[in-house]
Amino acid sequence: MTPRTRRHARRHPRHLLVALLPALGLAVAACGPAGEPRDLSGQVVAQRPQPAGVGGAPPEEDGEVADDDCDATASLEPDGADIPDGSTMAEIRDRGHLVAGVDQNTFLFGFHNPATGQLEGFDIDIAREVAGAIFGDRDRVRFRTITSAERIPALREGDVDIVVRTMTVNCARREHVEFSSVYFEAGQRVLVRAASGVDSLDDLAGQRVCAAEGSTSLRNIAEAAPEPVSVPNWSDCLVMLQQRQVEAVSTDDTILAGMAEQDPTTEVVGEPFTEEPYAIGIPPGDEDMVRYVNAVLEDVREDRWDELYDRWIEPVLGGASPPDARYR
Amino acid sequence: MTTPGGSWNTDADGSGESPRTPGYRAWIGGLVELAQQAFRRLAVSAARTPGRLSMIAVGLVTLTLLVGLVSTVMAQGKKDAVDGLLEHREPVTAEAQRVYSALSDAEATAAGALLADDSETERLRERYEDSIAQAGASLAKAAASAQEVPEAAEQVDIIGQQLPVYTGLVETARANDRQGFPVGASYLQEASELMRSTILPAAQELYELETGRLAEQQRDARSFPVFTALLALGLVAALLATQRYLQRRTNRVLNPGLVVATVAVLVSLLWTSVALVVHGVQVGSGQRDGTEQADRLVSTRIVALQARADQTMSLVARGAGDQHAEGFSRLSRQLGGSDGAGGLLGEVREQAAGGPAEELVNEAIENAESWRLADERIREHSDEGDYGAAVELAISADDEGAARAFHALDDNLSQAIDEGRQDFVDSTTTASRALHALPQGLAVLSVVAALGITVGVGERLREYR
Repeated sequence: MTPRTRRHARRHPRHLLVALLPALGLAVAACGPAGEPRDLSGQVVAQRPQPAGVGGAPPEEDGEVADDDCDATASLEPDGADIPDGSTMAEIRDRGHLVAGVDQNTFLFGFHNPATGQLEGFDIDIAREVAGAIFGDRDRVRFRTITSAERIPALREGDVDIVVRTMTVNCARREHVEFSSVYFEAGQRVLVRAASGVDSLDDLAGQRVCAAEGSTSLRNIAEAAPEPVSVPNWSDCLVMLQQRQVEAVSTDDTILAGMAEQDPTTEVVGEPFTEEPYAIGIPPGDEDMVRYVNAVLEDVREDRWDELYDRWIEPVLGGASPPDARYR
Repeated sequence: MTTPGGSWNTDADGSGESPRTPGYRAWIGGLVELAQQAFRRLAVSAARTPGRLSMIAVGLVTLTLLVGLVSTVMAQGKKDAVDGLLEHREPVTAEAQRVYSALSDAEATAAGALLADDSETERLRERYEDSIAQAGASLAKAAASAQEVPEAAEQVDIIGQQLPVYTGLVETARANDRQGFPVGASYLQEASELMRSTILPAAQELYELETGRLAEQQRDARSFPVFTALLALGLVAALLATQRYLQRRTNRVLNPGLVVATVAVLVSLLWTSVALVVHGVQVGSGQRDGTEQADRLVSTRIVALQARADQTMSLVARGAGDQHAEGFSRLSRQLGGSDGAGGLLGEVREQAAGGPAEELVNEAIENAESWRLADERIREHSDEGDYGAAVELAISADDEGAARAFHALDDNLSQAIDEGRQDFVDSTTTASRALHALPQGLAVLSVVAALGITVGVGERLREYR
């Protein structure tokens, strides 16, 4: 092209060319659409993580919902603090330690204190009381941490001697395992973000509400209409609330109080809408153990209960007195 | 022919109404006529010996220069390919591997840092931070090359988007844990879930894609240049035929020029064959004993890292830790088979037998066994509810502890990976050296051969004057 351009230049007056070329350039530049700026990465939307094992409504369990006509909180009469030979307690004593199924994620009831490396909380101390009665030494207990859903299987398979893990006694569970007398009265309430304006479970229609899988709370939420979200551990509910993946957490006020302690932007709202009597779970058939534990709890109610309550629960939930034991 | 034809077309289109068109037509007509004349003259002269000789000479010289050009380009291409392996492809694959193992390492370390007491936390924390930094830096390096392959670019995107989220969760876990809040452990579990379900699979995919590209390039580098070889053999045949023809025509046994040309071509052929055989064998050896062994070792090391993550997570996620404990047993079996010397480690040992990494792999097998035993004791303590002892055994650097066994295993496998990479570099460098000066040599030899033909045939031609 260069030689031809030069020839043209020779033929035409130079100033014309000088004027024409930019005009031509402009004309070419204005022709046709210019296209759009190229985005190499496109519009990226954050994918928010969730805790592992998030699920939905609870499966229908055989008889769990319907069977409410037993006297759930009535346990067996205590039978003194003696440990007869051949009894379940004697086996435990010979082993050298009690094995208690507990929680490590529920602040104030059963949690792992990173400063001491120990499990601490109200439930932990109750388990220590039982160990103290058998061995005269509250430290001779080994804690196995289990999820809510593992409580009954752990008892039925004999993996643990007792379960002290915010375990509500009810008729459906009584069909599978034994329970001691009630050592704590809780009630289901709702934890929400303080700024959310929610006052009770009724305000949460159509919203996502979190509870631990296998818990009675999850069943109660599912009945009260909101969209239930289940997670393996209660702490996962707080994670999801903090990450705004659920609008509320609904369970026993005791557990919610522990969560509110961990996050001051949340609050426990509404009146308790269920009664959640906590009892110690005991493997099926160990009736001697039930009577023995009830004897221990009698002592605790009279003596240590207030001290433990004041230490763990009182600062958050206010004063309370030990629940009365009921026997059949 | 295409170039003048092409430019004629453009001009005709561009200046169809130009007054100069007849001139162009005359020029083209002249050109065609010239070619016809030349062809006629050639046909006439080919009927006579001198004419035929010149034509043979021109043909031979052309073929020689063509073979010289093709083989020089081929040799240079081979050299470039093997140097590309050394300087680009393998290092990029190694970066992809680093992304994968650094991320696995970060996951394995994060849980431990949450469990341990203060002095130990410090050390684990540093290791975690280093792993994250390494993963980020290596990702940036791997990303450039990954852009060439859409699937790989996609994996880089996933890692790039999720890694900051992961570190955010780990920091949230840490902040909560420091205050004694159990929700910290839940955040860590969420982080671990994110790592396992999203980030690590992407890192694995990226690594596998890069490994595949490396293997492909190694195969290409080793491939035999069939076309060039056929061309060169054709040239030798033509040279021999010409000499036989001259021998019959002139009754002289040897034509020095053509002998020089033949020798030059044969030397080229021999040199190329030897160089390519050495090259192919060395590239192959670098692939088999180097990169493939390193690849197997990388998979093994990553299984070990994931098992370690499960081991520590089973203690952090107490209560929900059973799946992690099961994860450890499964990965541990994958690692060492049923007897501790099978599985991935067994395969690696077989592959490394007699090589520089043999010792390291044998040690790694012992480490894996003591690690497995330590985990059994951790499990016992944990099942008995003796949590403190279980953590102590998992984290502390005691002789009996899981941490020591795991770190020894990890170090040995890392070193074995480095041995594999070294093996690759050694073999592939030898392969590259085998091609040293070959392109230049082939070019020079082909010029020598062409000169030999010109001189040799020229001598005969002079006899006809």
